[in-house]
Amino acid sequence: MAGLKMVRTDSVAASAGADLRAENITHMFDTDDGALLALKDVSFTVEAGTFVGLVGPSGCGKSSLLLMMAGLLLPTDGRIAVRGETVSGPLPEDIGVVFQESSLLPWKTARENVEFPLYLRGVDRQVREKAALKMLDLVGLGEFTERRPHELSGGMKQRVAIARGFCQDPEILLMDEPFAALDEQTRMTLGDELLHIWDQNKKTVVFVTHSLTEAVFLCDKVLVMSARPGQILKEIDITLPRPRTYEMMATETFGQLRAEIWELIRETQAK
Amino acid sequence: MSHGLASRAGRISAQIGIVVAIFLFWEVAVQTGMANARVLPPPSLVLPRAVAMLGDPVVLYNLWITSAQVLLAFVLVAPIGIAIGLLLGESDYFGRAFKPFFFFLASVPKSVFLPVFILAFGIGFTQKVAFGMFQAIFVLVISAIAAAESVSSDFLKTARAYGASRRQLYLDIYLPAMLPVIVEGLRLGMIFNITGVLFAEMYVSRAGLGHLVSTWGMSFQMVNLFAGILLAAALSIAVNEALRWYENKVGAWRG
Ligand SMILES: Nc1ncnc2c1ncn2[C@@H]1O[C@H](COP(=O)(O)OP(=O)(O)OP(=O)(O)O)[C@@H](O)[C@H]1O
Ligand SMILES: [Mg+2]
Repeated sequence: MAGLKMVRTDSVAASAGADLRAENITHMFDTDDGALLALKDVSFTVEAGTFVGLVGPSGCGKSSLLLMMAGLLLPTDGRIAVRGETVSGPLPEDIGVVFQESSLLPWKTARENVEFPLYLRGVDRQVREKAALKMLDLVGLGEFTERRPHELSGGMKQRVAIARGFCQDPEILLMDEPFAALDEQTRMTLGDELLHIWDQNKKTVVFVTHSLTEAVFLCDKVLVMSARPGQILKEIDITLPRPRTYEMMATETFGQLRAEIWELIRETQAK
Repeated sequence: MSHGLASRAGRISAQIGIVVAIFLFWEVAVQTGMANARVLPPPSLVLPRAVAMLGDPVVLYNLWITSAQVLLAFVLVAPIGIAIGLLLGESDYFGRAFKPFFFFLASVPKSVFLPVFILAFGIGFTQKVAFGMFQAIFVLVISAIAAAESVSSDFLKTARAYGASRRQLYLDIYLPAMLPVIVEGLRLGMIFNITGVLFAEMYVSRAGLGHLVSTWGMSFQMVNLFAGILLAAALSIAVNEALRWYENKVGAWRG
């Protein structure tokens, strides 16, 4: 029995993620020119273990929403709930984040960056080192564990950031345009790898992107937001089967879903 | 060839070679009469004199006075300068109000204020320390402002999302992010500080390396003068290089 237990805590979790809800979120920013209404009555549900995309015109409040889910920004009105409980601050054990590449700490090696969330929680050195090396292996950086960010390419840095997001085994992973700084080929490859990792542990993922192809390829559901003040225009179920393959991109369904999202964004931008 | 030069040993021997070449050229210039030996004594006289000075109690006493002034000024001004810089860099309110003030003053040549320091502090130890501090404080403040502003909000956002405590934010984000810039500021501050103390000693004083050098110059003791200059240069270079070594060590990640 004891042996079995060891294996379980060691393997990349058996948990299936937690659900996350946004309830009537309205947010105003104080600016030099007065109050700015960024989000208006935003509500949605992200089911446990699903991969949900967030798309919308620039400035519609996607990043702000993500910060709220991470507990780093409190909404003016409404609430974010994880497993029904209101989020009022960071939940490092439940929620992992991946921002754009600049969030890696440049004075730490790839391994130390991946370990960082565990280090903050006071996890034993050997345990966190083992977990970090395993995650780095999984994202194909087994040979670069002792390199600092300035010695890595853009794609490698994002792999490190993804490894860091998964390393502490959170229930929910929030990603804000994690591949935005990468060329198209690299981002396709990384998207594919992300799905691979996700397939193994089925975390709840919220993924902000500007790439509609990426949104359709990765997600179970895509939330389309309006131009500022951000509102949810439509929730689009991505009916493509899993596991996803590149061939699906050439299918009619894929094209229709992509076109539907684009149409919504084009309309809201025109207003 | 280029490989040998690129390597560390090759680079160091090339650097030593250049220094030796300069001294050789200096010697030859004096010996051939290209330079006037009464104004520029040859290194074959200056170098042994500089070494002999290190055993001379009068010179050692004056060296000690200068070092004590420089060190005391540095120990006093470093925390003050860094604290002011961090406050201005971190606080929007103080930053907006007082940052321009420091940037303007930094561009004013500090040496014109020396007479004011003599009136305020006399011509002794205290005045030298005060003037060294005054010379150093602006560059310290400005680099501490730069250090505070170099801490990316993305680092803080990520660390907070992963549950960093306030203490962890300071020790694991602010400190390592700012350290290389702060040490660079300390190094520059030290150079200004040494310059300030030596300058004040040369202007008017009763002791110190600057006092000696100035006396030797005015009484036309050229060998002593150049030996004194060599000592002052060696001292400053040693301090500067030590701080630069530390700066590179804590800032290796800057690539
Ligand atoms: N801290 C802040 N203070 C004031 N205004 C802000 C702040 N953060 C965001 N905003 C404003 O709120 C709106 C939404 O910003 P947000 O960054 O959430 O948009 P976004 O959808 O992520 O945009 P993008 O796609 O360009 O990343 C924008 O108009 C922005 O200018
Ligand atoms: Mg954004």
